[in-house]
Amino acid sequence: MTEFVRHSTTTSETDVTPTSSSASTPRAVRGAVLLALATVALSACASNAAQDTWQPAGPDAQKIHNLQWPIFLIAGIVGVIVFAAVMFCVVRFKDRGQPIPEQSHGKTWLEIIFIIIPAVMLAAIAVPTVATVMALNKTDDADCIINVTGNQWWWEFDYPVDANGMICGYMPAGEAAPIVTSGQVVIPVDATVVIRGTSRDVIHSFWIPKLNGKRDMVPGRVHTWRLEASQAGLFAGQCAEFCGLSHANMRMEVAALQPDDFQTWLDNQLEPYAAPAEGTLAATGEQTFIAQCARCHQIDGLTDTEGELVISSPEQFVYSGAAPNLTNFATRNTFAGASWDLLNEDCRQDVWDASPEEFGEKYLAGVTVDCLNEIDLKEWLRDAPAKKPMYTDPALLDDTNGMTRGMPNLELSEDQINELVAYLLERK
Amino acid sequence: MALIERTQTPAFVPATPSSSYGVFRRPVETTGWKSWAFTIDHKKLGIMYGVAAFVFFLIGGLEALMIRAQLAGPEGTVLSADVYNQMFTMHATTMVFLFVMPMVAAFANYMVPLQIGARDVAFPRINAFGFWCFLFGGIFINTSWILGGAADGGWFMYAPNSSVPFSPTNGIDFWGMGLQITGIASLTGAINLIVTIINMRAPGMTLMKMPIFTWMTLVVQFLLLFAIPVITVALFLLMFQRVFDASFFSVEMGADPLLWQHLFWIFGHPEVYILVLPSFGIVSEVLPVFSKKPLFGYPLVVFSGAAIGFVGWGVWAHHMFASGLGPISVAVFAVSTMAIAIPTGVKIVNWVMTMWGGKLRFTVAMMFAIGLIVQFTIGGLSGVTHSVAPSDTQQTDTYYIVAHFHYVIFGGAVLGLFAGFYYWWPKIFGKMLSERIGMWNFWMMIVGMNLTFGPMHIIGLQGQPRRMYQHTTARNGDGFFNITFWNAVSSVGSLVLGIGVLIFVWNIYHSHRKHGPAPLDPWDARSLEWMTTSPPKEHNFDVIPTVGHLDEFFHRKYEDRGTGDHHDFVQVATAEEIMAEQEANAEQHIHLPSPSYWPILLALGLPIMTYGVIFSFWLIAVGGLVVLLSMFGWALEPHTATAADYDPPPATGTELEVVSHD
Amino acid sequence: MFTTGSKLLIGSALASAVFAAVYGITQGGTLGTIGLVSAAVGLGLLAAINAFVRDANVSAMDHEAFANAAGAQATARRSLWPLLMGLGVTTVTLGLVTTRAFFMVGMIAIFASAVEWMIQGWSEKASADPAYNARARDVMVDPVELPVAAAAGAGVVVYSFSRIMLGLPTKTSTVMAFAAAAILVLAVAAFVGYRKVSKPTLTGAFSIVAVALVAGGSFAGLNGERETHAHETAVDLAAEGNCGAEETEADEHASQTVAAQSNVVAEVLFDGSSLHADVVGFDGDFTELTLARSNPSNLIFRNESSGHARLVLELHPDEEAEEPGPEQVCTALVEPGGAQLMTVRLGRSSLALTAGGGENYALVVPGSDASLEVIVP
Repeated sequence: MTEFVRHSTTTSETDVTPTSSSASTPRAVRGAVLLALATVALSACASNAAQDTWQPAGPDAQKIHNLQWPIFLIAGIVGVIVFAAVMFCVVRFKDRGQPIPEQSHGKTWLEIIFIIIPAVMLAAIAVPTVATVMALNKTDDADCIINVTGNQWWWEFDYPVDANGMICGYMPAGEAAPIVTSGQVVIPVDATVVIRGTSRDVIHSFWIPKLNGKRDMVPGRVHTWRLEASQAGLFAGQCAEFCGLSHANMRMEVAALQPDDFQTWLDNQLEPYAAPAEGTLAATGEQTFIAQCARCHQIDGLTDTEGELVISSPEQFVYSGAAPNLTNFATRNTFAGASWDLLNEDCRQDVWDASPEEFGEKYLAGVTVDCLNEIDLKEWLRDAPAKKPMYTDPALLDDTNGMTRGMPNLELSEDQINELVAYLLERK
Repeated sequence: MALIERTQTPAFVPATPSSSYGVFRRPVETTGWKSWAFTIDHKKLGIMYGVAAFVFFLIGGLEALMIRAQLAGPEGTVLSADVYNQMFTMHATTMVFLFVMPMVAAFANYMVPLQIGARDVAFPRINAFGFWCFLFGGIFINTSWILGGAADGGWFMYAPNSSVPFSPTNGIDFWGMGLQITGIASLTGAINLIVTIINMRAPGMTLMKMPIFTWMTLVVQFLLLFAIPVITVALFLLMFQRVFDASFFSVEMGADPLLWQHLFWIFGHPEVYILVLPSFGIVSEVLPVFSKKPLFGYPLVVFSGAAIGFVGWGVWAHHMFASGLGPISVAVFAVSTMAIAIPTGVKIVNWVMTMWGGKLRFTVAMMFAIGLIVQFTIGGLSGVTHSVAPSDTQQTDTYYIVAHFHYVIFGGAVLGLFAGFYYWWPKIFGKMLSERIGMWNFWMMIVGMNLTFGPMHIIGLQGQPRRMYQHTTARNGDGFFNITFWNAVSSVGSLVLGIGVLIFVWNIYHSHRKHGPAPLDPWDARSLEWMTTSPPKEHNFDVIPTVGHLDEFFHRKYEDRGTGDHHDFVQVATAEEIMAEQEANAEQHIHLPSPSYWPILLALGLPIMTYGVIFSFWLIAVGGLVVLLSMFGWALEPHTATAADYDPPPATGTELEVVSHD
Repeated sequence: MFTTGSKLLIGSALASAVFAAVYGITQGGTLGTIGLVSAAVGLGLLAAINAFVRDANVSAMDHEAFANAAGAQATARRSLWPLLMGLGVTTVTLGLVTTRAFFMVGMIAIFASAVEWMIQGWSEKASADPAYNARARDVMVDPVELPVAAAAGAGVVVYSFSRIMLGLPTKTSTVMAFAAAAILVLAVAAFVGYRKVSKPTLTGAFSIVAVALVAGGSFAGLNGERETHAHETAVDLAAEGNCGAEETEADEHASQTVAAQSNVVAEVLFDGSSLHADVVGFDGDFTELTLARSNPSNLIFRNESSGHARLVLELHPDEEAEEPGPEQVCTALVEPGGAQLMTVRLGRSSLALTAGGGENYALVVPGSDASLEVIVP
């Protein structure tokens, strides 16, 4: 092969790449990147976000938080080191006509160090990780057990009675019976609550970020998960596993109450059914309820005109075979899968912003006539599927034997709606 | 009796006809649509893979923009809940199965034979069959949009939400069977490339002298070889559940829905490496070229790639930390997930060390490669934060995960693919892409992706779950920088990102109109694919090179004139001179396989059958007949077209004429 | 090699066939489909004739063409098809007076020989070169002939073999199946070992096997299948109200372990005299069990007593409902130390059962007094 002397630059560089000029053209863009990065780094995040995973309010979430912030910190530091190394290379080793570098594949000792460093760091992370996994899965120290059942697209909570006749570790004043509620789960503060969760249809995931991480609720399986609050208040959650059409509208809240308040709540839930006074709007509403709603929705103790107990049979109308129990409807602050508030804007803020000391009293007040969020509730009763996407169109129900998934439009008249609202407001 | 005698024709010589059997003539055209539809040339197939995948990329991008439009503000009403669910399902499906995987196949098909000095892949007709399976499968899935609605169960399609009562439209049937068809493409492609790489390397190219992109391709093909059967099984279970009322996932009959999750993620996690390792290979090619240094720790990069390939099988359950596996499983998978961070970290360190002490030229390809290092590092580190299982129970199924895997897949895989576009464009099309427009393309995409996916970290950590068709002000927090704000930023960012991608399209148009032919070796490259013309001839190399070094091409151009520990590389030849030498010694009688009708026909039969499963069982018979006939036609066809297939037959017979190139 | 005219007709025939298929599937109109199918058949016939006579474009006046015309020189090759067609016609006739099956076979033979005959005829007119003509025929027919022949052959083998297997008694058929497999393996091994087996020997052996198979299949098919005995399952037991203490056939076949079920609602334990439940998430034993309404719930029943036991859930269905459903569900009989899974979905609440004075759900073990109340809130 013949030899020859080369110019210092190769043909390719002169031909093709006016590197310096091309790199300088979008300098404005590069500035924008730095500005954007700086903005992300320096700006404050949302304050007071209802589902903030970085604001633990219970010992379980706190354990997770204690584990995650150092790891975020370490990850951040490693990131900065890598970026600095890249920036250094970019600035320092730019082609300024230096000779061709050594064609070496590197040094073995250097590479071994680069393996050992991350290995050691990860080993250090692994130990507390495993310890926390075990701690979060503990169930044998439970003070209170609550059954949680996911449905398309709402949560049902039921409080079983234990062998001693106690519910959630509390002895009810009257006769003990299972309490069934939905949307909002009430727990005592500083108690170790263990939920036993499952699902009636598809997989859902139970997640109250400020109290603990997620746990999927899988049909056919029962999963336990700890739920502990160290202060009284409301804690928001959201179904976190994609569960079909209205996944976005499947929410839940935890109301943590001081022990006394919890006892009050418990006794109130078990109070016998109080029929509305005769001649009132609510009394008409009771009959409307029996005619229209009681097919699916249970109100414990409700009797028809002949004195027979009215027992719902959602298994004939709803594919998941269940509908929310409305016995103590007006003690909750939400409805329709906790997607809408029963309280109007002012009252809602009042409860949510209440200090831990005042919270119990405000929560136990329930929904009053003055506080009622009439607009959303009436819209829901007028045409539920229009407000929340659900499968109620008869054309889509061939595969479910005509059973709906969600609440159909009952085509109630305005009068009926007013009666029902009056009736439901008394359910507390 | 008179004898009547017919006059004899004088001395008849039977002549073999010059024309052939009409419609059954082999499609030997070298131009026109037939030359593409029936080609089995790995380069043409590579280009078709690339074009089709890019079209799907634009479709998937459009779906992404619709999603961001819906989420730009709280209580968005651009899409209905139903359409939104279809949109995010199809966005993921399109991007994973119809863009990144086939785009990787495009590069692997085009580059691997060139990088190892081969004339084609081992099974050229199967290669063509694979491409058509991918294309028809992709089109089949997307026709669900106009045939009653697309799949709405999310790309992970968790059971039992994927069962008929919970998803009564045909969308999931389209999805499952379409992916079966594209799975055939991946599986046949994997076998083909493994055989090619193991058996068809140029003389002298030992495994440890093999270009790193080919190495990563080899690892990925093995991953595919073992992962695709798993998803195939899962998809069959799904199909039987939906079409034939089987009860694999029917809980009321005692089934456990977690079966699907295990099957899906045993496929799904290696899939992540299937998406990202080829891009690692591409930047491991690009960085040394533009640093003018060999890849730092080449053996270690190879071994870490292989290690990722192995350990990648032992981490699937980290997608299921919240599924309720039990603490022991969770702990084991958390630790194995941390372990896989080590070989991944090795790669990043090696890339940085490759640049260290180099002679860096900041071409667009190099910028994309550096962009990958930075962006993928972010994705990798956020990945470490969810290997910590307890903190993952807070992060999983939130936008934090969305941010994480977009930094991994967009910041890793896609930026690497764009580095590959700019680096290999002159090789493939013989034209340079504009560096000036390319810089705009790069920076718009980087700004766009960080604006889009960066805020998702915040959105997710502040509690917004994924896959919600609306987010609500009630849960978005207070202050100016609340979740509503960051969602809006993300939506604006997605527009910027979209414009960035369109700039690339403009760059292609502009460059092909304005630019002359590209030089032979525009980047002063290092590996074999540059030792031929751009675009390469049909037979790739005039002379199959004999390989003595890793980075063979570089070592032919440069010689070490130093003594002892002192190295001093001096250029001794140009690419043109090496090319001229090859052409002078060109091999005669190069044998190439002939084009065929059967691969495309066979692939066409498959979607006809799957339409049949959905709409009419008679169509299955039609499709089955097409498949059966094509299989026999294929099997009975000679490898090489006979002279009769050429009309008129070429003077030189069926062997390809080797012309000298100027 | 096709002439212009035949290309046109072939194309039209194919187009009509495709249109017929498309129209038939999308529109579903019978009349239109029949019309289009008829057009396809008619055009196909015309195309065949036209292809056969090559547009009749060898002019009798053209002396040179006459001399060189393929028809003038080609020697017809030997052909099996006239024979087959003759057989077909005979069989059809036979079928008309005896059974439908002969008729069908004859029609198929006529159709197949007609197609093959036509194509052979066509190919022999292709050129004066017999080798080229033979190749033309193969290219045309092989992709159709081979899959059809293979499918038909495989069908005959599978059908005959299955008839034989279904005709024999269970135990004999098992022996026969394994023997057939063994002979096959041995034969292949022998063939691989001694490659010198002559072609006629091999053909003869195959022919004997084929004839034996077809003959055996026909005989067995005419004789009918053996009587098969259906096993009962635990589901059948419940449907027949057979959840007693005695052992049934279903129990005999039941597995005594539970695989791959974790996180069930509860384990129900039987100690010989009483039932109690070990409920996930709770400490201690329960003497009543709460199951969520309408929820598919998995229970594992463990028999810790010394005798056999079966878990039965009394459902007390609504007598007034249109389909009251079964009275009870039960597991198979469980050996001492064994376990069984029970999956139940209770749609009605306990209140619905007890409100009218009825009995609540209860888990019981037949043959003992053990009982565990099931509460469905």
